[in-house]
Amino acid sequence: MRRPLRTTVFAVVLAGALRIPATAAPPQISPGGPEPRMFQEFTRLVQEYVKLRKALPRERITKRQDEIVDRRHTLAQAIHEARAGAKQGDIFTPDISEQFLKIIRSTLQGSANARKTIRQGEPVASLRLSVNGAYPEHLPLTTVPPTLLLRLPQLPERIAYRIVGHDFVLQDTEARLVIDFIPGAFP
Amino acid sequence: MQAQDVTLPIHAGSVRFAAIGDMGTGAPPQYDVAQRMLQFHEKFPFTFVIMLGDNIYGGKSPDDFLKKFEIPYKPLLDTGVQFYAALGNHDDPNERFYKFFNMNGQSYYSFKKGNVHFYALDSDYLDPKQLAWLEKELADAGSTDWKICYFHHPLYSSGAFHGSSTELRTILEPLFVKYGVQVVLSGHEHVYERVKPQKGIYYFTEGASGELRANNLKKTDLTAVGYDKDRSFLSIEISGDDLYFQAVSRTGVTVDSGTIRRPLAIQAAAP
Repeated sequence: MRRPLRTTVFAVVLAGALRIPATAAPPQISPGGPEPRMFQEFTRLVQEYVKLRKALPRERITKRQDEIVDRRHTLAQAIHEARAGAKQGDIFTPDISEQFLKIIRSTLQGSANARKTIRQGEPVASLRLSVNGAYPEHLPLTTVPPTLLLRLPQLPERIAYRIVGHDFVLQDTEARLVIDFIPGAFP
Repeated sequence: MQAQDVTLPIHAGSVRFAAIGDMGTGAPPQYDVAQRMLQFHEKFPFTFVIMLGDNIYGGKSPDDFLKKFEIPYKPLLDTGVQFYAALGNHDDPNERFYKFFNMNGQSYYSFKKGNVHFYALDSDYLDPKQLAWLEKELADAGSTDWKICYFHHPLYSSGAFHGSSTELRTILEPLFVKYGVQVVLSGHEHVYERVKPQKGIYYFTEGASGELRANNLKKTDLTAVGYDKDRSFLSIEISGDDLYFQAVSRTGVTVDSGTIRRPLAIQAAAP
């Protein structure tokens, strides 16, 4: 028996979440790169997303595969509705993108192993990405080189960096949604 | 498979498990391997299975979970066998909420059985947080028990399709050496391979429990034993300081077996 979750309820909750006061406890996010100040604005923008996300019901452990799938779809729909106006560059602004690109380029230039990791991770062919768009469930996840992750700001739970074709992606891992992306970040 | 084909000793109180990787296709070969595991289980009653990633290929609908996991392994699940999954690059991170995978909502986690610590890692996303967690877990485990790590991407492999994950190796291997990990299991390459000990650690790849890249092993100096002719699964028994292993093909042929003793030394290998 399927028990679909109520998207509309999520959307209402999300709408409220967007007005969370500044006194809310800050989410865990700790810049891991050598110059954390570069990422202060990125951190702030990610925190805004986390605030939105915290208002949503979490996944829970279950034997029911239909419940897992339903929750993912419902969550994705709720986020999509709450961020209906979101667009590429909202989080990866031009200045922030430039900082990320510097790190990505220097990591790849300095490490044949990092380039090999991406190749071995069965990189997907270029995919037309959109903010709030779903990452297709049948496609594999390209391994993100750990030497790159060591140099990037650490992310809170449920958010991850991804490599999709040539693009660098900030992904909501539970909803499988693209939060934002930098086009053409990888050669 | 005949009873005499089980080479594992089945000591009282031993830790017994199977390892499968790259199995979640939902295609007949996965079912064949699952059936072979069930037959093996009748003679070697393992209590759990570790999954080395690519647990659910392709679509992730409820029917996919059924067809690619619950149905093929139902007879084992019904006997009480538990499954402990690691995520592969074809898996959805939401699989960690699937009760049958025993991940408890985490993409990396540890558990203990008898005198063996198991560490399931997420090699798709080895970030500083996971590394810090792993180092603390390994340190806290002390040095008296067995330590076994498993994750999807092999640090050493003679597979022609992917080969060794050298970047992961540069990061993980120092931790494994420092904290005395004895055995590492991975998938990703769709073959079976046991690698000669590297810095005192035994590496197994079992990525052919559903998928297969036939004739894809380019046996190198790394290879102790490899098998790329058919699907397979690996079974392991740990009793005191001895680890016994037996890799079995889809048709029931033993393609590798032996014993590892602490301090580590291989004592036998067959065929």
